[in-house]
Amino acid sequence: MSEWDGRGLPPVAAERVRRAAEGGAWTSLLSAPAAAGLEVAGFDPAGEVMGSIVQRIGWSTYFGCGATGWSGTNTRTITSSQNAGFAPYAQALQNGWKTAIGRMVTEASSIGADGIVGVRLSQSNLGNNAHEYTAIGTAVRARSQTRPLRVFSTHLPGQDVAKLVLAGWMPTDVVLGLSVGIRHDDWNTRQQMTWGAGNVEVTGFTELINVTRSDARRLLAKHVQSTGADGAIVSSMRLVTWEIEPAEGHTDHVAQATIIGTAVARFHRSTAAPTRSLTYLPLRRSPS
Amino acid sequence: MTAEPAAQLGIPEDAMRRLAEMRPGSATSLFTSDLSVNEFLLVREAGFRPLGLVLGSSIYHVGFQMGRWSKNQELTTLSQAMYHARELAMTRMEAEADQLGADGIVGVRLEIEFKEFGSDLAEFIAVGTAVKSDHPTPEGGSWRNNHNQPFTSDLSGQDFWTLIQAGYAPLGMVMGTCVYHIAHQRFFQAMGNIGQNVELPQYTEALYDARELAMSRMQAEAEGLHAEGIVGVQLLSHGHRWGGHTTEFFAIGTAVRPLRSDHHIPTPQLVLPLTD
Repeated sequence: MSEWDGRGLPPVAAERVRRAAEGGAWTSLLSAPAAAGLEVAGFDPAGEVMGSIVQRIGWSTYFGCGATGWSGTNTRTITSSQNAGFAPYAQALQNGWKTAIGRMVTEASSIGADGIVGVRLSQSNLGNNAHEYTAIGTAVRARSQTRPLRVFSTHLPGQDVAKLVLAGWMPTDVVLGLSVGIRHDDWNTRQQMTWGAGNVEVTGFTELINVTRSDARRLLAKHVQSTGADGAIVSSMRLVTWEIEPAEGHTDHVAQATIIGTAVARFHRSTAAPTRSLTYLPLRRSPS
Repeated sequence: MTAEPAAQLGIPEDAMRRLAEMRPGSATSLFTSDLSVNEFLLVREAGFRPLGLVLGSSIYHVGFQMGRWSKNQELTTLSQAMYHARELAMTRMEAEADQLGADGIVGVRLEIEFKEFGSDLAEFIAVGTAVKSDHPTPEGGSWRNNHNQPFTSDLSGQDFWTLIQAGYAPLGMVMGTCVYHIAHQRFFQAMGNIGQNVELPQYTEALYDARELAMSRMQAEAEGLHAEGIVGVQLLSHGHRWGGHTTEFFAIGTAVRPLRSDHHIPTPQLVLPLTD
């Protein structure tokens, strides 16, 4: 077997896509309600698609915040958007998601699909700083004359896609906002954490998470804007923090914020969306 | 929502046309929201437009308090910390919504996460979706509350829709908290009870006291907003990281005011779902 050069799809994936494109039975990850929903909205399943990448990502090669010793009572958070020394780390994370989603989209367009629904993103640590990023979903084809400019993708399950489409909204892209921030533990921060500090906000850490999260939100909005959609429905917003010690007696805190969602575009022309809700009382046991 | 055959409505033809016309980077009034699809559509149907995800957070060092462990008592330092930190998060979220020119915030989640920072440190976070109404209230007034702040509500999109249909408007989330220490039993008392099924009156009283304090504080907040009542109240107790005898009692709900005098909603249809 010849070695794959990392371009396009890996040989086995390309082979599977070729078979799927030839027709025959399709596979899907759809639940029964999702399949029914897509049927009502006018979409047919085309096949299960996925994309994946394994890459080495390590923090160890990057340095800390840059501040030295105990100085700096008024340090600020530096985010990955500011061309900081650790920006390659954030770019690697971004690249992981982007490549996985990109390969999934390539599979979908190779089998002649118009979009992918129910996209699930996952990340796993394989040890030795090797991380796998995967994106998996069900490719669908629209019963329409018009073909979209590019394959649409959404984390929403089929039934939610159907509800949105019937109300005049179309999901367009899985969108991502990712930012990493770092902040030196300055004197104030260390004081506010001591046992005798009493009730007090740890302003340094608050600044760290707020700056990092708001940078991720800004990048999410930028991503949505770049797709040409009207808005986004956020599916998950995660923030993890950890401590690093780049030098003796010098500790920093790092925050990593990831926001994932789906961009949506409006296609109904009236001012109000054409939804008609029906009030009903389900005849089932209450959950309690 | 009722489903009609898609082809009749020109769907998915219109949807695909929209995708074919996508112009990256074109100016739109962009919004983000963490509502589910059901909630998003119902909020739209209630006549509100989502403006954006709003968020406030604070990392807080919760102080320590010594007490007489043999006595039932409120640990005021801890009560104040839990209240103040949540208030910081809420106020910051409201400030973001105010900046967007919002009428209110729906689907607010108020969470506490103990992070890797340290054992006495927690992140208090408030997240919701800022919304703006397409119309003034039925009596022609503002949707904002009597402090001219955007209303806040922790109700789901479904509950929000039902509330508006029934002629009520949310005013604000109201909360009360009380961190309480329940007395350790004295040695002889504990020995006397061994193997017997008896009420522990001291324990019962402590729980009554603590809940009463939390609820009355919440009610006082609602009165400050001139609310008619509070809906969706949750009375929670959290042990957090304080050990078995120290518990936070936390009451939270949405204060509401009437929009009109009758509060009828259409008689719901009965359905038998084919799922659990």
